[in-house]
Amino acid sequence: MTDTTETVTDGQSSDAPRDTNGAEANAAQAAATEAATATLPNDAAQSAEVTQTTKVVTAPSVDGTPQPAPVSDALLAARAAAEWRVIGETVPGASHLRAGIPNQDAILHVRQSSARLPVIVSISDGHGSNKCFRSDRGSRFAVRVGADLLDELINGRHAALPPTEIEGRVRASLPAEFIKRWRAAVEADLKREPFREAEFTRMIERDGERARRLVEANPYLAYGATSLSFLLTPAYALYLQLGDGEMITVSEQGEIAQPLPEDARLLANETTSLCLEKAADDFRFAVHPHTAGDLPALILLTTDGYYNSFSNIAGFHQVGSDLLQMLRDEDGFSTVNRSVKGWLEEATTAGSGDDCTLAIVCRMDALKASPSSGNTTSNTETSDASPATPTESAPTQTPSTPGDAPHSSVAPDASAVSAVSTSASHEQSATPKTD
Amino acid sequence: MSRRPGGELASRPLHFIWIADASGSMQQDGKIQALNNAIREAIPHMKKVADDNPNAQVLVRAVKFSDGAQWHISQPTPVADFAWNDLPAEGETDMGKALSLVAEQLKMPPMSERALPPVLVLISDGQPTDDFDAGLKALLDEPWGKKAVRIAISIGQDADAEVLQKFIAHPEMKPLAANSPEALVKHIKWASTAVLKSASSPAAGGTDHPDASPAASGSPVGVAAPGASTPDPNAAAGGTLNNAPATGAAVPTATDPADDQKTVDDVW
Repeated sequence: MTDTTETVTDGQSSDAPRDTNGAEANAAQAAATEAATATLPNDAAQSAEVTQTTKVVTAPSVDGTPQPAPVSDALLAARAAAEWRVIGETVPGASHLRAGIPNQDAILHVRQSSARLPVIVSISDGHGSNKCFRSDRGSRFAVRVGADLLDELINGRHAALPPTEIEGRVRASLPAEFIKRWRAAVEADLKREPFREAEFTRMIERDGERARRLVEANPYLAYGATSLSFLLTPAYALYLQLGDGEMITVSEQGEIAQPLPEDARLLANETTSLCLEKAADDFRFAVHPHTAGDLPALILLTTDGYYNSFSNIAGFHQVGSDLLQMLRDEDGFSTVNRSVKGWLEEATTAGSGDDCTLAIVCRMDALKASPSSGNTTSNTETSDASPATPTESAPTQTPSTPGDAPHSSVAPDASAVSAVSTSASHEQSATPKTD
Repeated sequence: MSRRPGGELASRPLHFIWIADASGSMQQDGKIQALNNAIREAIPHMKKVADDNPNAQVLVRAVKFSDGAQWHISQPTPVADFAWNDLPAEGETDMGKALSLVAEQLKMPPMSERALPPVLVLISDGQPTDDFDAGLKALLDEPWGKKAVRIAISIGQDADAEVLQKFIAHPEMKPLAANSPEALVKHIKWASTAVLKSASSPAAGGTDHPDASPAASGSPVGVAAPGASTPDPNAAAGGTLNNAPATGAAVPTATDPADDQKTVDDVW
């Protein structure tokens, strides 16, 4: 089956070379990787293009998703059939626009063609430091690596592991493998396009000669970025983060929760980063096995440019509860989907000035009725009883533009998100932002 | 749907705090008046920088220290409304108490996590007469104190460069030596503009001090962007990277030609 579709619009994307010889690699994983890469367009050819190009990769269906003991087969089956959709967008920061700096955020969403689980979303914030002058590329590599690794987790040899063991696997290998692949992507990019003197000149004008020495000593610095990745299967949710940004969950009652612990170091524009030597040690992650009835209605992923645009953190958390209400309105999904880009632009203009990225993962059955109506689906065992049947259609081959027809809530294959910004391409706003 | 999700939007606050020596020695050779003039002269430039970056809300305050320390301007004042009242000069040099006062205001709350790095500018012509180390410890024990961009300006030959260096707490950054009213104006203006711009903008380019020496062309304290393999102390200590681009305002050193203590223009 090839019913998992990934639509990517990172025309400059250069996938990290896959290491199938690592300790964690095995035949199944390698086969999955091979299957996935087999359908990818030639990245080398793509890398010369800045235009957005859709990629389609194949991956096994949810039939192979793990079935942990605590959850019944019936519940898993219901969840596997439940409809999930993702809205995502990224916009360049107001101050970036003033300074002629591209959007350095990136977002990538991997999902099924049928709007079913699993869902994978990865976002990244390329650092704005003058020394990180290729961070727009670094963030694209980050979302690609994050999505690939989570995809392999559910399609490789660990697919059958229960959530409790998944956590151990993640801890043992995922951060190190993430860094390894991200660095490989950077190295490949540098091989294709070594640092240009003009890049150094611009940096030195702002940061002095010492900056050059720093970048030459650590070329990864030029690509520095954060990473937030999210995987949702019928059995568990996995949150993986390095650096600043926020992931929050919204319950059916509108309650906000943070799945990951705070990192006190992330203050004053300082962040842990993929480009730092001990980056693998700085990942935060959590695996949340599902138990009956505890699935969030929404999961939000955002870069710091968005939540820093609110006068306080409560104002950002209010986004979660407000979105839940809006999505429950008539035609709410389509309306939110159409509006999110404008909201992000408003936020960066009136708020932080930084690039803003937001992904909204929606459990559609939780959006059907307001809790006050008494019709809220409170048990996910019944969640698939009457989901809106998505329109099955061929994978989108080209991204829509802002002037295209409104994003449809029943166009699952217009998926993904992605939006990857480059200095030569500010058109990421033209990418489709929803499934 | 016209409604937007979430609470109130707001630019990020940037607290800029003058920490000014108002001890009796500042009366000598017109130093206090030169300081008053320099800060007053810098205000329009600060306003210009703030105007250029609507995504930062620059809030200015001032602490004075002599016999004890007091807030000279206690309210975080939007730079557009900021006016400088002349400081008088008399008494001792209780610099440590001034740092303690600042430390109190850098706690969370009243500071918020979403603030931009505060800018602290310490200006002194003498040696502390109180427990400087206790005040400095209180400051650096606060996360925002540690992350603040800390600039020090020494006035004249009698300033205690060692304590100012401790305040900066960065081996590659040196106090700015002002041995004349002109040099003081230049440094005050630089701190009010280039440093402010660097600290306040997540996207504007940093500005090197025109006299910055190569050795000083790094980033202000707490805002360096080190790579892991670099010797930058911030990287080693915090394991974090500054992700704001505009933090590269290089700090001039005492070796700047204009500040060389042997130049004929020196009056202090």
